[in-house]
Amino acid sequence: MSYQPIPHKIISIKNYTPDVKLFKIKCSTNPAPGTFVEVSVPGIGECPLASCSHDKNYLELLTRNAGNVTSKMFNLKKNDSIFIRGPFGKGFPIEDLKNKNLILIAGGTGIAPITSMINYIEQNKSQFKKIFIYFGFRDEKNILLAERIKKWEKEFELHIGLSNDPNSHEYEKGFINEIMEKHKPTTKDTIALLCGPEAMMDCATEELRKLGIKNSQIYWSLERRMECAFGSCGRCQIQDLYVCKDGPIFRYDKIKSRLDNENSSNKKK
Amino acid sequence: MQKILPKKDLPKFAESLIKKYQVIAPVKAPNTKFRKVNSFNEIYLDAVTQAPVKSRFIVENETLLEFKNGKTTESEGEIPKTILFGMRKCDLNAIQIMDKVMFDKQYINKRKNTILVGLFCENPDKFCFCNSMQLEDFYDIFLYPKGKNFIISVGSKKGEALVKNLPTLEKEIKIPNPKNYKKLENLEIAENYRSKIWESDANKCLSCSACTVYCPTCNCFDMKDELDTDLKSGTRKRFQASCMLKSFSTVAGGKSYRDSRLSRFKHFVYHKVSYFKKTHNRPMCVGCGRCLRVCPAKIDWVETINKLSKSKS
Repeated sequence: MSYQPIPHKIISIKNYTPDVKLFKIKCSTNPAPGTFVEVSVPGIGECPLASCSHDKNYLELLTRNAGNVTSKMFNLKKNDSIFIRGPFGKGFPIEDLKNKNLILIAGGTGIAPITSMINYIEQNKSQFKKIFIYFGFRDEKNILLAERIKKWEKEFELHIGLSNDPNSHEYEKGFINEIMEKHKPTTKDTIALLCGPEAMMDCATEELRKLGIKNSQIYWSLERRMECAFGSCGRCQIQDLYVCKDGPIFRYDKIKSRLDNENSSNKKK
Repeated sequence: MQKILPKKDLPKFAESLIKKYQVIAPVKAPNTKFRKVNSFNEIYLDAVTQAPVKSRFIVENETLLEFKNGKTTESEGEIPKTILFGMRKCDLNAIQIMDKVMFDKQYINKRKNTILVGLFCENPDKFCFCNSMQLEDFYDIFLYPKGKNFIISVGSKKGEALVKNLPTLEKEIKIPNPKNYKKLENLEIAENYRSKIWESDANKCLSCSACTVYCPTCNCFDMKDELDTDLKSGTRKRFQASCMLKSFSTVAGGKSYRDSRLSRFKHFVYHKVSYFKKTHNRPMCVGCGRCLRVCPAKIDWVETINKLSKSKS
């Protein structure tokens, strides 16, 4: 296993909100949907970012300015190089998703790995049955990948919930579970893929359970601190599992008891 | 295969190794630890060392990567041909466990150039509980004192080369386990994660991370970049990290996934006893007792687990 990051050229950078940018990078590795790469800015450090695309010519990274590395990334321009190591991790279990109805649920920048999955679905439409998409954002200003959402609205059943925007005319107000309750997905022969803050995934999972979907039909994409990305540094452990090599996509029934255990001894919020 | 070395010849044997190899052995000053030695007189074999040998392989401040002019070069992590001398069964097993969790070439290259010379542990103290931890025979050669001689068990080709000139023992003897005064009675603690019994230990814990620093199998690390003064070139380095610290599991934005001492303390104990066992079929802890010896709050999680199994039955 290697720590050597490879320089890649930035093709374009698109601003979505003051703290979220989409970096399009020339790259031929084509990570599997749901996997992640380690992005370096030499002299600053390295951080794990989910791949937001599925294309053999480029790699997209939807990046929130949240830490040391991402804030330095925000100073980069078109044609600058960015250092990448990876991809790492186990992505969405594509084989298990074939010939199923899919529910894709994302909140905020959690839309990134879900987008890589949607790209895969667009390229392989015949492999899947009906696709339901639910996105949650804070308000209209914070909607990410808006132009793609417009396009997906035509192809799939897509609903957006804005948690804190009473004035929006275009989109509904409400948390993602409320939106799902209003616009119910098919639940027979269905698998749900989720990515977002854990509190949001909790609510959405509760709603899915109410609709009759089992824990074993739900997959969560998890965020942890990953330094080495191959199961050595121990930073991303959730009990006996490493998010970097056993995940970041976990079947919910396999990870639930572990998350519950760890949370049971954390500080009460 | 077993060989014989008269006890009085041990200094000569060690000196012959020191001539050919870099020899790392326990020394006394000021806290017992493993260090490079230049003569047999420096070696101190009368106690389990306070500090483990892991820093030889997971070197603090080790350069993993250099970057200059937009290019990155990964370091190879090589060391000269090295003998680790006077390793006790717990130290040897700790290396064996480390081999299962370290996958980078910096570690692997260092291990390739290392020969493990074990020594039977004659002086376990009240903190040692190695016999509870499913230890295995893992060494290149292993010295067991018997009468006026050392019986040397050979565990590998690398080890065989070191002792090829010594007479072979015709009838092999079985090497016993070291004496233990302490026992960990139960390794199956998975069901007890939410037991209240952990709270008293966690309340005593100072989050000082000494246990993880002194643990011979705590391999967790952090990588940090250091810039040179030209602000263009620099290095990426490895530092020890500890799951006992809140920052260990903090992600960008400030959320820590183990934000209480209780959850961090349990993670340490469970990782050592239970989690690793699930994936590797043996506990990660080698029972050397170093974490108990150095804990400033005198936390004894082994006794806590023993109480747990008593309260169950």
